[in-house]
Order: sequence, then C-alpha cells, then structure tokens
Amino acid sequence: MDEAGFTEIYNTHADKVYRLCLGYASGDENLAKDWLQDTFVKVWHHRKSFKGNSAISTWIYRIAVNVCLAALKKSRKHASIDDRIVGMVDKPIQTEDREYKLSKMYRCIDQLTIQNKNLILLELEDIPQATIAETLGLAHGAVRTRLSRIRKALLKCMTHGQ
Amino acid sequence: MDNEDLKLTWNSQKTGLPFNTPAQIIAKAKGQRRSQIGGIVIMLITVLLLIVFTILYAGTQWNNFSLGLTLMISSLVFRIALEFIYLFKINKQMVSLDSKTFRSYVKSHYRARLRINYIITPLCLSIYVFGFMLLIPYFKAVFSSSFYTYILVSGAISLVVVSGLIARTIRKETQFLKRLNDR
Repeated sequence: MDEAGFTEIYNTHADKVYRLCLGYASGDENLAKDWLQDTFVKVWHHRKSFKGNSAISTWIYRIAVNVCLAALKKSRKHASIDDRIVGMVDKPIQTEDREYKLSKMYRCIDQLTIQNKNLILLELEDIPQATIAETLGLAHGAVRTRLSRIRKALLKCMTHGQ
Repeated sequence: MDNEDLKLTWNSQKTGLPFNTPAQIIAKAKGQRRSQIGGIVIMLITVLLLIVFTILYAGTQWNNFSLGLTLMISSLVFRIALEFIYLFKINKQMVSLDSKTFRSYVKSHYRARLRINYIITPLCLSIYVFGFMLLIPYFKAVFSSSFYTYILVSGAISLVVVSGLIARTIRKETQFLKRLNDR
C-alpha cells in the first residue's frame, strides 16, 4: 500500500471509523478524532502486515475496535453524557430533540457490555454481519442472535430511559 | 420507537468533520516511528557506554561512584526497555487479533503489568535510590554545601513524585482491568 492507496482507504473509511469511535467515546468528538487518528496511524505502520486474507475494511474495523478498547483506559476524562444533556438549552426544538435522543442513545450504549457494544456499533454503521463476525471473532449465527437481543435491550432503554 | 428510529438517531450524528488529511496522518506516523527509533538508539548507546565503562574501569578504578552510577542508569534503562517491549507487543496484537481475542490479550497484558508495577518497578526504583545513595558521599566532597542540600532535597522530592506516579498508574490500570472483567 503506497501513499495513494492509503489516501483512498482513508477517504473511504474515515467517516465510518470516526462514528464507530464516537460510540465508544460516548459522543466525545475530540476523543473520537484522536482514536480515528490512532487507527489510521496503525494502518499506515502495519500496512505491510496486511496479507489480504480478509477484506481491507474488516482489517480496519478490527484495528479501530481494538484501538477504542485499549483507549478506554483513558476515556473517563470526557464530560459525562448527563452533563451534555443538561447543557442543551437555548437550542431550536428539533436540534434539541435530536441531540437529546442521541445523548440518550450514547448513555444506553455505554451501559452495554464491551462485546455487545462492539456488536451494536458495527451494526449501526450498516457493516454486514459476516464482516462483524470476522472483525469480532464470533460465529455468524451468534452475531445474528445477539444483535437481535441487543437491539431489543437498546430500544427498551431508549424508550423507558433505563 | 423501533429499529428504524435507532438507525435514524445514530445517523443524525455529525459526519464529514474536518479530520486530519491522509498526508497529515502519514506525517504523524512517520514522526512517531522516528521518535521510537530515536529512543531505541539512545537506549542502545547508553547500554553500550555502560558496558564499555564497566570493562575499562572494573579492574582498576572501580569504586562506589562507578557502581552507583551503573546501578542508576541500568535500572532506568531496564525499566524503560520493559515499557517499550510491552508497548510494542500490545501494538502488534492490536492490528492482528480479532476483538474477542484481543480483549483476552489486553486482560493478560494488564495483569502482567500489575505484576511489573507491584514488583519490578519498586525493585528498579530501590536499585536506583541505592545507586543514588552511593553517590552522596562523592557529592558532599565535591559540591558546595548549598548545592549538596539542593541535590538531596530535589532527590527526595523526585522520589515522592515518582512513587505517586507509580501509585496512580497502578490505580488506573487496576480500575481498567476491573472494568474489562466486569463487562
């Protein structure tokens, strides 16, 4: 992979990786940007170790998920989600509603186990279940079953504000 | 609320933010690599100098000053090298393991680090302090009384600061490990 190849990969995947990181960082944009950068710095450093046994996207998501997991050690610094909900004043009602829902969603996702968080964040990014299974090291069937349970739990949390 | 609402809410996140450009990422990656290589080169030179120093002076002019200096530098180099090795290993696994296996690896990594922080680091620190204490009589003989006091006081303060940093690292890594085990 040369610089042109890296640029193409970055432009294709940066947005998805950033949003994935946002989920781990509970919406903290600065943290998510740092983790996005760490992910692609690693992609560049280890580009020669990618043998093409899986799709390049699977490899990148795998690195992103692992970077976010390892970085959770320092993630308690970000403002709490509750603080951000309280901070939503004097905004147009539509924006406020959208941000409120999003903050609630971050909070509900944050309550999930790490493995379930991995699953739902990849699913929300419309990543195919086969790729999710390969990224996380799970059986395809298990991914389908678990995702259905997680979606239900997430919906319940979003509706009843668990 | 249904699945579609979940997706709609998720997709309402901001995208297309001004990220770093690919060129900036590559420049950062190259800069990181350069500083890593620089660090390794400095450590290797230090170890080499220590070996040469020991070979040259061990037989003839070896004294407590040489011993103290050797103990201080070697304990520091050993601990830094250990940190590099662990950092290198976790970075390598981060790009090669699937998330489930990597999580297990991270747990064992931090368990090993706790052992290092509880045993190896205090041992290195003790050797460092012992080496420093061997130098004190030489400092007293050579330096003025005020500078000698300054060395003693700053040495003691540094020891307290380093001990605090070690305790903070242990607490942080223990909490992270607990979080990984809980979830």
